[in-house]
Amino acid sequence: MRKLLLSIVLLSAAQTALAQAWPARPIRLICPYPGGPVELSSRIVAQKLQEALGQPVVVENRPGAGGVIGADYVAKAAPDGYTLLMGAIATHAINPSLMPSLPYDAMRDFRHIALVVQVPNVLVVNNDLPVKSVKDLIALARTKPGQLDFGSGSTGSTGHLAGELFKQMTGTFMVHIPYRSSAPAVADMLAGRVHLMFDNLASALPNIKAGKVRALAVTTTRRTDFLPDLPTLDESGLKGFNLTTWWGLMAPAKTPNEIVNRLSAETLKAMDAPDARERLRNLGSATPGVRTPEAFSAFIEAEKTLYARLVKVSGAKPD
Amino acid sequence: MKIKSPQDFWAGLMFIVFGLFFLIVARDYQMGTAVRMGPGYFPTVLGGILAVLGAVVLLTSFTMSGPKVPKLSFKPIFFISLGLILFGYLLKPIGFVLSVVVLVFVAAFGGHEFKLKEVAILAVILVIFSVLVFVKGLTLPFPLWPAFLD
Amino acid sequence: MDMSLFSNLALGFGVALTPINLMYCLIGVLLGTLIGVLPGIGPVATIAMLLPITFSLSPITALIMLAGIYYGAQYGGSTSAILVNLPGESSSVVTCLDGYQMARQGRAGPALATAAIGSFFAGCVATVIVAMFAPPLAEVALKFGPSEYFSLMVLGLVAAVVLAHGSVVKAVAMVILGLLLGLVGTDVNSGVLRFAFGVAELADGIGFVTVAMGVFGTAEIITNLELKDKREVFTSKVTNLFPSKDDFKRIWKPILRGTALGSMLGILPGGGALLSSFGAYTLEKKISVNGHMFGKGAIEGVAAPEAANNAGAQTSFIPLLTLGIPSNAVMALMIGAMMIQGIAPGPQVMTEKPQLFWGMIASMWVGNLMLVVLNLPMIGLWIKLLTVPYRILYPSILVFMAIGVFSLSNNPFDVLQMMLFGLLGYVFVKLACEPAPLLLGFILGPLMEENLRRAMLLSRGDPWVFFQKPISAGFLIASILLLVILALPALRKKREEAFQEG
Repeated sequence: MRKLLLSIVLLSAAQTALAQAWPARPIRLICPYPGGPVELSSRIVAQKLQEALGQPVVVENRPGAGGVIGADYVAKAAPDGYTLLMGAIATHAINPSLMPSLPYDAMRDFRHIALVVQVPNVLVVNNDLPVKSVKDLIALARTKPGQLDFGSGSTGSTGHLAGELFKQMTGTFMVHIPYRSSAPAVADMLAGRVHLMFDNLASALPNIKAGKVRALAVTTTRRTDFLPDLPTLDESGLKGFNLTTWWGLMAPAKTPNEIVNRLSAETLKAMDAPDARERLRNLGSATPGVRTPEAFSAFIEAEKTLYARLVKVSGAKPD
Repeated sequence: MKIKSPQDFWAGLMFIVFGLFFLIVARDYQMGTAVRMGPGYFPTVLGGILAVLGAVVLLTSFTMSGPKVPKLSFKPIFFISLGLILFGYLLKPIGFVLSVVVLVFVAAFGGHEFKLKEVAILAVILVIFSVLVFVKGLTLPFPLWPAFLD
Repeated sequence: MDMSLFSNLALGFGVALTPINLMYCLIGVLLGTLIGVLPGIGPVATIAMLLPITFSLSPITALIMLAGIYYGAQYGGSTSAILVNLPGESSSVVTCLDGYQMARQGRAGPALATAAIGSFFAGCVATVIVAMFAPPLAEVALKFGPSEYFSLMVLGLVAAVVLAHGSVVKAVAMVILGLLLGLVGTDVNSGVLRFAFGVAELADGIGFVTVAMGVFGTAEIITNLELKDKREVFTSKVTNLFPSKDDFKRIWKPILRGTALGSMLGILPGGGALLSSFGAYTLEKKISVNGHMFGKGAIEGVAAPEAANNAGAQTSFIPLLTLGIPSNAVMALMIGAMMIQGIAPGPQVMTEKPQLFWGMIASMWVGNLMLVVLNLPMIGLWIKLLTVPYRILYPSILVFMAIGVFSLSNNPFDVLQMMLFGLLGYVFVKLACEPAPLLLGFILGPLMEENLRRAMLLSRGDPWVFFQKPISAGFLIASILLLVILALPALRKKREEAFQEG
C-alpha cells in the first residue's frame, strides 16, 4: 500500500515537473483530414499556439479511414502534451456508431481540450422545386413519397444523417444519393438532378447569396449570423432539430491536467484573437459556445448518443 | 500441349489469379439489384471478365508463338525493396538523416559495383540536400535524429 | 461584349502586373516547379502548408501565388516524367510513355522543350477561353450528370486500350485489373470496406501516387539495374537541346488538338481533366502518321498530352470561379484558401470582385510566360543530370521517391505500397503487360462505378437513361465505333498470323 502511495506521489510529482517544463520541444498537431477546412483551421490555430507557447506547433497530416488512422495514432501516443489531435465529429461522434470496430474509445482514450470550429448545415433546394418553406417541402414529400432525392458528401456524413433525421421527424420518404464529396452533390443540385441537400453552411452560402439555390432552413436551434432571415428547422415545426459539423483540439487520455488546462486557455485565447476569429468565421464557424474541456467532453458525449440513434435509423451502418 | 508463348502463358495465369481473387473475395459483399447495386456487383462482374480475358490470353499462348519470359534478377529486387522498407519503417524511430543514409547504402548494394567511398559521399550529399529542401524548406514534419537524442 | 472583355483584361493585367503580384507569382511558379519535379510532394500539401504565410498578403496576391504553385507543379511534373520515368500526378503518366523513351535516346532536350512550349501555348489559349467564355461554359459543365460522366468514362476506358502498343487483349485485361484495384477501399454508396482485409490504411483506397511511382519508377530502376553489360541507361550522345524544324512540323498540330481537347475536358468538375492527357495521347496515336512510333519516343506523344493537361488545368478554374465547385483536390483547397481570406467562391466573385477575378486570370497568363522563360534555359541543366552515372543517379531518385511517398500521409505503409507495386510493375515488364492502361483504369474505376450506381439510383433502375440523354448517348456511340475500329486491325492481324501458323 505504501509502495503504491509512494509511486502515485512520485508519478504526480513527475507529471507536475513535466507540465512545468512543457513545452520544451516542438508540438505535433495531427490532422486526420488534410486538404480541407479541418487542415486550414488546424494551421490557423497552430500558428497562434506557436506564438503563445514559444515552441513550434507543427501540423502533421495523418489521413485515412475516415479519420480513424489519425485519431488512433494520437490515442496511442505518449500523453506528454507533445502530440495533439484535431478530432472531429466523424472521429468522435459518428464513427463510434458507424464503424463496426473502432480501435479507440472516443471518450476514454482522449482528453477533449477545446471545440475550435462549429458549422451549421443548411437545408437548400433546387430553384425549380416548387417549395418556399419547410412546410411546403414536407407537403411535397408527402404527396410524392420516394420521388425526391437528397444528396450528401458521403454515407454517414452530417448531410446524410440530417436528411435521415428530417425523414424520421416528418414521416416522409426521400432517396439518399451519396457522393464522394460535397462538391459534385452541389453540382447535381444546381442542375436539378437531385432536389435538395443538407449542405454545410460555408459551401452553400455563395450559391444561396447568388440566388442559384433556395435555402429553407438552418439545422441549428439558433439562427445563424450569416443568414439572419433564415428560419431554423426547430422554428419550422421540427422541434429540437439541432445538428452541426464540428472539430476541436484533443490529446491522449493521460495528458496531465496542467497541460490540458494551459492548452485549453491558450486555444480559447487564440480563437478569440480578432484575426483568427475572422478567419474561422470565414469558414462558416461562429465562435463555439462550448468553452471548457469538461463542457467539450459533455458535448461530445451528447453528440455520440445522438448519432448512435441517427446511424441506427438511417441504416447507414455497413454490414 | 506445348506452350508456344511463355510470356502470354504467365500473363494469362496472372490475370486469372487476380480475377478469381477479386471474384471470390467479392462474394462476401452484397450484390444488390440493378437499381440499388450492392458493393459486390461491380467487382464480381469485373473479376469475372478479368478471369475470362486471362483464360483467352492463356489459351492463345498454346497456339501463337511469342517471346520467352526474360530472366528475373533477384539482386536489385531484393536490395531496392529492402532499402525502401527500411527507410519507411525507420524514419520515425531513427530519424530522417540516418534513414536516408540506410536507404542510399542498401540501394547501392543492388547495383553492379559498390564503391564504399563513392556511396558515402553520395549519402552525405543527399542528406544535406534533402534536409535543406524537405525539412528546412518544405517543413515536412520529420524528426532529424533518433528520438532518444532529442 | 468585346469592348468589356478588353477593359476587363486591362483591369486584370493592371492587377497582375503590380510589382508585388509579379513577385509572388514568380515565387509561386518557382516553388510549384520545384515540388512538381520532386516526386510525391504535391501541390495540395504545399498549398496547405503555405497558407498561414499568405495570411499577411492581400487576398489577390495570396491567390496568385497559390495558383502559381498549382500550374507550376504541372510544368515540373513533366520534367521528372521525361527524365526519370516518374509520374507524380495522373496527368504526367502519359508523358512518361514517349518522353522517357526520348530521354533514353538522347532527346530529352527536345522532349522537355516540347512540353514547355506545348504547355505555354495551351495555357495562353485556355486563359483566353476562361476570360471570354467562363459563364456559358459553366452551364455546359452543369449539363454533365452521373449518366454523362459514366458514358464519358466508358469512352475513356475504350480509348485506354489504344495506349498500349502490344496485345489488345492484354491491354483490356490490364484496364480491368486497374479498375479492380481502384475499387479497394470504402465503397461510396454503401460505406462497406472492400478488399481491405483489416488494413486501416486501405480504407481510403490505394493511393494513385504509390501505384504510379511503383509501376513506373521503382520497376524502371530494377529493370535498369539488371542490364548485364554496364551500358549506361541513357545514351551519352545528346543531339540537340531544342526541337528541330522537323520536330516543330510534327508537333504544332498535336499541340492544337491537345489544347482543344484539354480545354473542353477541363471544364467538367467530375473528373474530366483526368481524361485530358490520356484522351489527347489516344487521339494523336490514332490519327498521326507516326502512330506506330508512339511508345517508342514519338515527339507528338509528348506534345499533345502536355498541351491538353495544361489547358485542362487552366479551364478547371471555370467551375471554381463561376459555380464555386472545385474539380480536384487542389481546387478544393483553393476554395478554403479563398474563404479564409473572406472571399466566397461562386457566381458573385466575377461581379463583386472583378479585380480578383480578372487579376487572377491575367496572372495565369503571366505565370505561364514566366514558366516557359524559366524552363527553357533550365533544359541544359536538366540534361546534364542525365550524364551522371546511373549508379549515382538511381539511389538519389530512390531517396526522393521515398521521401515524397512517405510525406503523403506520414505513414510508412505508403512506402511499402510503392515497393509492392514496384515488384508488380517489374512482373508486368517481364510479361510484356503495359502499365499505362492499368493506371487509367485505376483512376477511372471508382468514378465509373460511382456514377453508374448513382445514375441507376436517380433513374430508379432504368438503364435506358444512358441512351435517352443526348450527351451520354453520343459518348456511348463513340465508344462502340472506337471499339469496332480497334477490333478490325486486331482481327485482321490475328487471321494473318493464323494463316502463317497454318
